[in-house]
Amino acid sequence: MKCEEFEAIGLDAERDASLSEAERAAARAHINSCSRCAAFQDSWLAARTELRSLVEATSEHQAPARVEMRLRQEFRTQHHTVKARRAVVIAGWALAAAAILVGAVSWINWRASQHQGVTSHPGAQSNPANLAASGGSGAKQAPDQNLGANPETLLADNELGDFTLLPGVLPSDTDDAAIMRVRMQRSALGALGLPVSEENAGDWIQVDLLVGNDGLPQGVRLPQEN
Amino acid sequence: MRIAEPERDDVLLRQAARGDEEAFTLLYRRHQAAMYRFALRMTGNNWAAEEIVQDVFMTLMRQPKKYDASRGTIGAFLYGITRNRVMKHLERLPREVALEEKNEDGTGSGIVLQDNATPATWAEKRERVEQIRAAVLELPAEFREAVVLCELEEMSYEEAAAMAGCPIGTIRSRLHRGRALLLAKLEMLRDVPRRASAVR
Repeated sequence: MKCEEFEAIGLDAERDASLSEAERAAARAHINSCSRCAAFQDSWLAARTELRSLVEATSEHQAPARVEMRLRQEFRTQHHTVKARRAVVIAGWALAAAAILVGAVSWINWRASQHQGVTSHPGAQSNPANLAASGGSGAKQAPDQNLGANPETLLADNELGDFTLLPGVLPSDTDDAAIMRVRMQRSALGALGLPVSEENAGDWIQVDLLVGNDGLPQGVRLPQEN
Repeated sequence: MRIAEPERDDVLLRQAARGDEEAFTLLYRRHQAAMYRFALRMTGNNWAAEEIVQDVFMTLMRQPKKYDASRGTIGAFLYGITRNRVMKHLERLPREVALEEKNEDGTGSGIVLQDNATPATWAEKRERVEQIRAAVLELPAEFREAVVLCELEEMSYEEAAAMAGCPIGTIRSRLHRGRALLLAKLEMLRDVPRRASAVR
C-alpha cells in the first residue's frame, strides 16, 4: 500500500466495513513501515480525541422548548381548520341529501295522488275514439292547463286495458311497450287512424301513447281528468 | 427486542396525520435532539438550527404522506429533510459562524464541559472545544458534512453516503480531504497561542 492509499482508506481501515481483510492487513503493514503515515495517523487520532470532546460537549443539546410549543400550536391550528372544513362539507352533503329526499317524497306523493285521481273515475272518457269525435269537455283543455305542463312524460303505468290499439297492431306486440303522455292537437289523432271531428280539430288535448321498442305508437288512450 | 406497536414511528406518524397531537409530540421529542445537533454542528448557529428543526417538523406535519416506509426509517427521512434545509441555509449564508450566542436561560453558547476540573483547566478545555468547533465550521460544506456525519454523528460510511445521496467512495474522499483540512486548521489554531505567548 502506498502513502496516498493509506491516507485515503487506511485511517479508518478498522471501521470501514466496505474494505476487505486484505486491505486492512495492508494498512496495518504500511503503518508499521512508514513513519510519515504513522505520524499522520497519530495526529489524526489526537484530533479525533478532540472531536470527541466537541461531541461530548454538544451531546445534550436539543431544540428549545419554544420550538415544541410553536409546532403544537401550528398542529392544533391546522387540524382544527381541517376539522371545521370537513364539518362544513359534511353539512353541505347532508343538506343536499335532505333536499333530494324531500323532492323524491314529494314526487312520489304527487304521483300517488295522480294515480288515485285516475282510478276514482274509471268509466269517464275511456274510449279515445268517441272522445276524439265528440270533443268532450275533458279534451278541451288549454295547453297551459295540462298536468305538469310537460310536453312529454314517460309514465310507469302498466295498465294497458284502457288503450285503443292502432290499426294493424296485435295485442302481443305491446308486451314491451312504454306509455308516454303527450300533448297534441286533436287533429293529430287522425294521423294515427282515429276519427276526428272537424269542429274540434284545433283543440289541444293530452293523450297517453303506447310506444313500442321501435319508437312507433301502438295504442292511444285519453286519460281521465281528476 | 420489538418496539411496542403503538409506539413505532410509522404508527405515530399515521396517528399524527389523523390529528393526534400527542402522537406528533412523541414523534417530535424522539427525533428533535438528533436533528437539532446535526443542524447545529453544520451551521454553528443556534437560531439557524432552531429554525431548521421547526421547518423539518412543519414539513412532517403538513405533508406526512411524503414519508415512504419502503425507502427507510422516519429518522433517515427527517435527516434527509434536515440536510436539505442545512444546505440551503449554508448556500444563503456561506460564511456565517456564530461567535457568541445565548441560550433561553441567558447562559453561554451551549457548550458545557461536565467535569470537575479547576477553573483554569476548564477554561482551557472550553477554549479548545470552541477552536475545534470553529475549525469544523470553517470546512467547506461538503467536507464538513462528511466530517459531521462520520466523526460527530458516528455514522458508518454507508449511512453517511445514503444521507448525502452520493456513493461511498465520494464520502470517503470528502472525509479524507475534510480530515486533512481539519488537521491543518487545528495545527494552526494550536500554534497561534504558542506564538502569541512566545512573543510576550
